[in-house]
Amino acid sequence: MTATAATEIISTKINPNVVPHLHIWEWQIPLYLFLGGMAGGLLVITSIMIVLKRKFGIGPKDAGEGCPCLAIRIGSALSPILLAVGMIFLFLDLAHPLYVWAFYTTVQPTSPMSAGSWILVAFFPLAVLQAMLVNKRQLRTFDVGIVHKVLDWTEGHMTIVALVNAHIGVGIGIYTGILLSFFSARPLWSSSILGMLFLVSGISAAAALMLLLAPEEEKPIYSMIDANAIWIELVTVGLFVLGGLTGSANSSGAMMHLIGGNAVMAGIPYAYWFWGLFVGAGLLVPLLLEFLEAAGVHIKYPNVAPIMVLTGGMLLRFLIVFAGQSYHTFM
Amino acid sequence: MDHWQNFSRRDFIKISSLFLAGSAAMSSSAGQAFSGLGQSGSDENSDRIVYSFCEHCFWRCGIAAHVRDGKVYKIVGSEHHPLSQGKLCPRGTGGIGLLYDPDRLQHPLIRETKGGKQYYRKASWDEATGMVAEKLYGIHEKYGPGAIAMLHHGFGVSFFKQMFSQIGVNKFAKPSYDLCCGPARQASVLTYGYPSGTPEGFDIKNSKYMIFFGTHFGENMHNTAVQEISEGIRRGAKIAVFDPRFSTIAGKAEHWLPIKPGTDIAMMQGLMHVLISENLYDRSFVQHHTVGFGELWDSVRKMTPEKVAEITEIPADAIRTVAREFAFNAPAAFVHSGRRTNWYGDALQRIRAIHILNALVGNFKMPGGVVNFDKFVLKKPKTAHAHPPYEKSVYSRYPFFPDDEPSNTIASHEIVQQAISGEIKALMIYGVNLPETMTLGRETAIEALRKVDFMVAVDVLPAEVTGYADVVLPECTYLERYDALDAGRNFRTPFVALRQPAVPPMYESKPGNQIAKMITDKWGMHGVFPASVEAGLDKTLKMTGSSLEEIKKTGVIVRPETDLYRKPGVALNLKTPSGKIELASSRLRAAGFDAVPRYTPQPEAPAGFYRMLTGRKPMLTFGRTANNRFLGDVATAKENEVWVNTETAAKHDLNNDEYVHLKNQAGVVSEFPVKVKVTQRIRPDAVFMVHGFGHTAAKMTWAYKRGASHNQLISRTDIDPAMGSVGFQNNFVTFIKEA
Amino acid sequence: MANKKNYGMVIDTRVCVGCSACVYACKSENAVPEGYCRDWVVQETKGNFPKLTMENRSERCQHCENAPCVTYCPTRASHYAEDGTVQINRSLCTGCKACLAACPYDARYIHPDGFADKCSLCHHRIEQGLKTACVSVCPTGSLHLVDFNDPDEEAQKLMAGRIVYRQKEHAGTGPSLFWISASNKPGA
Ligand SMILES: Nc1nc2c(c(=O)[nH]1)N[C@H]1C(S)=C(S)[C@@H](COP(=O)(O)OP(=O)(O)OC[C@H]3O[C@@H](n4cnc5c(=O)[nH]c(N)nc54)[C@H](O)[C@@H]3O)O[C@H]1N2
Ligand SMILES: Nc1nc2c(c(=O)[nH]1)N[C@H]1C(S)=C(S)[C@@H](COP(=O)(O)OP(=O)(O)OC[C@H]3O[C@@H](n4cnc5c(=O)[nH]c(N)nc54)[C@H](O)[C@@H]3O)O[C@H]1N2
Ligand code: SF4
Ligand code: SF4
Ligand code: SF4
Ligand code: SF4
Ligand code: SF4
Ligand SMILES: [Mo]
Repeated sequence: MTATAATEIISTKINPNVVPHLHIWEWQIPLYLFLGGMAGGLLVITSIMIVLKRKFGIGPKDAGEGCPCLAIRIGSALSPILLAVGMIFLFLDLAHPLYVWAFYTTVQPTSPMSAGSWILVAFFPLAVLQAMLVNKRQLRTFDVGIVHKVLDWTEGHMTIVALVNAHIGVGIGIYTGILLSFFSARPLWSSSILGMLFLVSGISAAAALMLLLAPEEEKPIYSMIDANAIWIELVTVGLFVLGGLTGSANSSGAMMHLIGGNAVMAGIPYAYWFWGLFVGAGLLVPLLLEFLEAAGVHIKYPNVAPIMVLTGGMLLRFLIVFAGQSYHTFM
Repeated sequence: MDHWQNFSRRDFIKISSLFLAGSAAMSSSAGQAFSGLGQSGSDENSDRIVYSFCEHCFWRCGIAAHVRDGKVYKIVGSEHHPLSQGKLCPRGTGGIGLLYDPDRLQHPLIRETKGGKQYYRKASWDEATGMVAEKLYGIHEKYGPGAIAMLHHGFGVSFFKQMFSQIGVNKFAKPSYDLCCGPARQASVLTYGYPSGTPEGFDIKNSKYMIFFGTHFGENMHNTAVQEISEGIRRGAKIAVFDPRFSTIAGKAEHWLPIKPGTDIAMMQGLMHVLISENLYDRSFVQHHTVGFGELWDSVRKMTPEKVAEITEIPADAIRTVAREFAFNAPAAFVHSGRRTNWYGDALQRIRAIHILNALVGNFKMPGGVVNFDKFVLKKPKTAHAHPPYEKSVYSRYPFFPDDEPSNTIASHEIVQQAISGEIKALMIYGVNLPETMTLGRETAIEALRKVDFMVAVDVLPAEVTGYADVVLPECTYLERYDALDAGRNFRTPFVALRQPAVPPMYESKPGNQIAKMITDKWGMHGVFPASVEAGLDKTLKMTGSSLEEIKKTGVIVRPETDLYRKPGVALNLKTPSGKIELASSRLRAAGFDAVPRYTPQPEAPAGFYRMLTGRKPMLTFGRTANNRFLGDVATAKENEVWVNTETAAKHDLNNDEYVHLKNQAGVVSEFPVKVKVTQRIRPDAVFMVHGFGHTAAKMTWAYKRGASHNQLISRTDIDPAMGSVGFQNNFVTFIKEA
Repeated sequence: MANKKNYGMVIDTRVCVGCSACVYACKSENAVPEGYCRDWVVQETKGNFPKLTMENRSERCQHCENAPCVTYCPTRASHYAEDGTVQINRSLCTGCKACLAACPYDARYIHPDGFADKCSLCHHRIEQGLKTACVSVCPTGSLHLVDFNDPDEEAQKLMAGRIVYRQKEHAGTGPSLFWISASNKPGA
C-alpha cells in the first residue's frame, strides 16, 4: 500500500476534441503559424533592409531603377505569398469554412483570432504594395493599366511603406505566438514570451530562407542576420523554458511535459524533439556553421545551415502546438 | 436413445451468409436511426407521448416515450407511475438504443443443414410458427407434457404461459429465481410467512439507518429505491455498508466495512450477539411476536465481536458500533435483504439472518423499518378455454421451492439437467440468454441446448442463445407492443400499469401476444386468446372500473397509499406455522435443515488466486443492454474491467489499463482479454468484474468481444439444498499477462 | 428588465451516484451526436484502502459570468444570453475552435456538422418553463436548476450551512455551477 493518498478519477466523458486531452489542431495550424511567422519575418527583414539602404546607404547594391537587390525583391514577394498559403491551411482547419465571412462581421479586440484576422486585412495591401514596388521594373513590362497607376501613385513612398511594413511584420510575427499565449487554460501556451519567441524564430527562418535564395554576393548579410536572430532566439527559448519551470505548478508541469516528459510526437518523445532536433539541430548546429562561415571556414554544403534553421523553425511550431494540447487543461 | 445422435451435433451458428444477407438489408437505415434523431430546440407540443413501462430490468418503471415523425426520439420517466415519479435510471432512457439496434432480429429463422453445413434460413411467420407448433405437439404426443419446458425472463412471457397451459405444460423456470432473488423470497416466506416482493419491503423513505450487505444501490439502479435512499441521505439518514469493495453506496456511507467475502453470516451473528448481549434488542417485540429466541441466542452466544472480527476481518469495535447504532435508530432502521442474493449456496440462511436482525430490533411494520407493500388487486376474466390438468404444480426437487408461483415450477438448473439427461426434449427460451446466464456454468448450459430435440428461442437480439435454436422467433421490443397488465409490483400506492406500443413493430418482428396466438391457432385451439390484445386488456380493465382508453392516457391506475404499519398490541397473525416471526424456523427444522442460521466457512482461494466478485454497472443490464449503442456511448460503458487491489496488482506486476486474460481455479481462461483497473477500492483478496460482457455472438456487432465474460469463468456452483438457488462466488481467478 | 434571469445550477454531490442518467437524457433531448456528450459524470475516490472517500459529480459547461469562450470567439458566435447563460449561435460559428482551447473546463466539442457545441442549459426547455433534461431525469435529485436572481433564493436555501465550492475559481471565469461537497456530514 502506498503511503501517499491516492486519487482515482473515472469519467464518462468521450468528446474526442478534449479527451484524453485537447485535440483540436493538427498539422494545419502549426504550418500556418510557421508560414505566418516567416511571412512576418520576411516583411521585417526586407522592410528594414529597404529603409537602411534608402536612409543610410547600408546593404547590398540596388538593382537599379529604384529596385532593391534580388533577395529583397524575392523576400518581399514571398511574404504575402507565404502568408496566403498559410491562410489556406488556417481555412482548411475551420470546421465550417463556409462561414469564414463571420470573422469580418465583428471586431472582437479581446479575441486574438479576431484581432489576427483584422491584422491580416492590414497586412495584405501593404505587403503586396511593397512587393510590387520593389519589383516595379518587371511589373511595368506587363503594361497593365491599374498596375501602372498604383505604382505611379506610391513610387515615391517606398520608404514609408517599408517603415509601416516593418511594424506590421513584427505584429504578424508576435501575433502567431500571442494567438496561443492568450489561452490561459493551456499551461504551456499561456506564456507571455511565446509571442517574442515566435517573432524571433520567424525572423531567423526568414533570414535563412533569404540566405538560401540570395545570390552569392548577397549571402553574407543574411548569414549575419540569421546568426544574430538565432542568438536572440536561443536566449528567448531559455527564458521561455525558465519562465515555465519557475512558474506555477501548471506551467512548470507543462514545461516539463515539453522538455522532459515521455509524451511522444510521431513516435519520438518531445524531449528528443525539443533538445535534439529543435535546440540542437535547429539552433546550435546552424549557429556554429554560420559562425564558421563568418570566420572564413567555408563548408562544402552552404545550404545545410539555413535548411536546418527552417526545419527547426517549423518544428518549434509543431512542438508547441502539439505539446500544448497534449498537456492537460490548467488545474 | 438414438435420436440424441441426430441432435447432439447441433452447432452453434455464428455466421451464415444467408442470415447475414438478410439482416444487412435493413440494418443501415436502422443504424442511423438514433443518431441525429430529433432536433434540439425541440417543440414539446409536436410530440406524441406514449405512457408505458420499461423492460430494461424487472423493476418496471413507468416511461413516457416521446414520438415524433414516427420515431421514438426520447424516453423520460412517467410522472404518473409511482415507481418512476418522473425519473429514470440510465437504462430506462436507453430504450431507443434497443428499439433502433441495427443488429435486431428481423424475421423468423429456421435452422437448416446443407452439405453438412448448418445455417439459418429466413422463414415466414406462418412457416416458423407452424414448425414450432408441430414439433412441440409431436413431442407432447410422444413423451407427454413433462418433456417440454420453458425458461423465461421478462414481462412478455405471459402469453406463452397461457399458450402452454393449453397442452398442460407448466414446467417453467425463471432464472431470476434461482440465480437471483429466490433466497430472499423464500427467506421471507419462512420468517414472515409471505414472499418478498418488488420493490423489496423496506420503508426506505422513513428510515434513519440503513445497513447493506453487498446490495450496491447506485450501481444496481433500482429507480425508486435509489430515489428514496437519496432522500434519506438528504434527510441525514446514516448508512453502513458491508462490502469487500468500496461500492458507490459505500461511498455514501458513514461506515464502510470491507468484510472478507463469504463471511457475512458470521457478521450477522456477531451483530445479533451484540444486540442480545448488550440488551439492545426490542425485548417486548421479540417476546410477543417471535418464536425461537432461545435457540437463536444459543447459536450466537459464542459469536462475540472478537471472534467474528477474526472471521470477517472487521474490527470488533466496528461491529459493536454498527449494532449499537442500528438499535439506537430502530425501529426506523433496517438491514436490507438485497436482490441478487444467491452468493454461496447458503443464501437462504443468510437472508434469514438479515430478517432475524430486523426482527430483533422490532422494526417489523414500523415506519422506517420492514414493511409489506400491497399489490393492486386485478380481477381477471375467466379464460374461454379451460386448460387440461397439469401433472404437478411443482417439479423441483428442492423442499423449499415455491409452490405458489405458476410461472416458476422448477429451478433453471434442473431444466438444464433434465435436458441433458433426456427427460426434457423440447425447450422454449423466452428472453433468457442461457449460455451467458450461468445455470451451472456456460459449458453445461450449452450441452443442454445441444441435446434437446427441439429448441425455440424468442428474443429480440441475435444473442448467444439464439445461435442454438432450431427456430428463432423475433419478438418486437417492449416499445412496439402491448403486453399483459402489470399488477405485479408491490408499493405503498398499489397500482396497475399498461404496456402499449409507442411505434409499430419494426421489420417483421411481432409481439409475443401474436406469436403465442399463431401457435395455438396452429394447434387448432382457436379462441384461447381474445380476438385482439386490446380487446382483452379492455375487458380486464372494465372489471376494475376503468378501460383501455382510460389507462392509455397515463399508463397507470394508482390506488391511494395503504396503511403499512402495525398497531401496538395487535397480534401479527402471519402465515408461518407459529403465526409469528420465526427466528428459528420450524419448517426448516422439520425438513432437516438448521432452524437458525449457522456460519460455515467458504473455501479459500488457492495461492495466487482471488475470489471473483460481481456486480452491475449503472447504465447496463447484461444481455438486455449489451448491444445497446446508445447506452454504450459513454466512456465507462464500453467494456468491463477487472478491479484489482493496488497491492495485489504489484504482486502480479499488473498496470492500470493493461489487458490480461483471467484464468479460474479449474483452468478456464477467458477468451477475451479484460482491462485491469488497479484500485484502492477493493480488498486485496478479491477481484471484481461486472457481468454481461465478453459476448461471443458475432452478430451482436457492438457487444461482440467487448470485455470479458464473468459467466465463462464460473466452473463451480453451490446449490442451496433447501430452495435450489445457485451460488457462484466460490470461483477464483488469477491473471495471465499478454505475451 | 426588472426581473432578469440568471440561471445556473446547484449540484448536490452528496446524493449523486454517478449513474449517468443525466448524460443519456441530454443525449436524446439534444440529439447529441454519437461519440460526444454535453454533460459527463466524474467519480473521484481519494485515500487508501480502507480509508476512502468518494465524490460523484455530473459536470457540464459552467455558464461562466466571465467566459473565456466568449472572450476568445472571433465571430460572436459564442455569446451571453439574456438569461445569464452562455450560448452558441450556430450560424456564426466558423468552427475555428478557439473557444475549445479557451475553456478551462473542457466543456465543448466540435459537432460533426461543423460548429462548436456544448451544454445550452436546455435553453429551449427553460423558455417553456421546463427544467433541463438532466435535472428532470436525475433519480437522486442531485441536480438543481436555479435562478440566482430569484427573490425566493432557492439557491441560497440549498447551499446554506453546507460546504459548497466552485470549480477553478482562480481561472477568473465566474462559473455558475455550485457544488455541494460530498464531504458534508450527513444531514448538514
Ligand atoms: N444498473 C443495473 N442495475 C441492476 C442490474 C443491472 O444489470 N444493471 N441488474 C438487476 C438485477 S437482475 C439484480 S439481481 C440486482 C443485483 O444487485 P444487488 O442485489 O445489489 O447485487 P449484490 O450481488 O447484492 O451486490 C453486488 C455487490 O456485492 C458485493 N459482494 C460480493 N460478494 C460479497 C460478499 O461475499 N459479501 C458482501 N457483503 N458483499 C459482497 C460486491 O462487491 C458488489 O459490490 O441489480 C439489478 N439492478
Ligand atoms: N455470470 C453471471 N450470471 C448471472 C448473473 C451474474 O451476475 N453473473 N446474474 C444473474 C441474475 S441476478 C439474473 S436476474 C439473470 C438474468 O439473466 P437473463 O434473464 O438471461 O438476462 P439477460 O442477459 O438480460 O437476457 C435477456 C435476454 O432477453 C432478451 N430480451 C430483451 N428484451 C426482450 C423482449 O422484449 N422479449 C424477448 N423475448 N426477449 C428480450 C435479450 O436479448 C437477452 O438475450 O442472470 C443471472 N446470471
Ligand atoms: S430501474 Fe431502470 S431499467 Fe429498471 S425498470 Fe426502472 S428505468 Fe427501467
Ligand atoms: S443522473 Fe443524477 S445521480 Fe445520476 S449521475 Fe447524473 S446527477 Fe448523478
Ligand atoms: S465552462 Fe467553458 S464553455 Fe462554458 S461558459 Fe465557461 S468557458 Fe465557456
Ligand atoms: S468555434 Fe465557433 S464558437 Fe468557437 S470560437 Fe470559433 S467561431 Fe466562436
Ligand atoms: S442542461 Fe440540457 S444541455 Fe445542459 S447538460 Fe443538462 S440536458 Fe444537457
Ligand atoms: Mo437479478
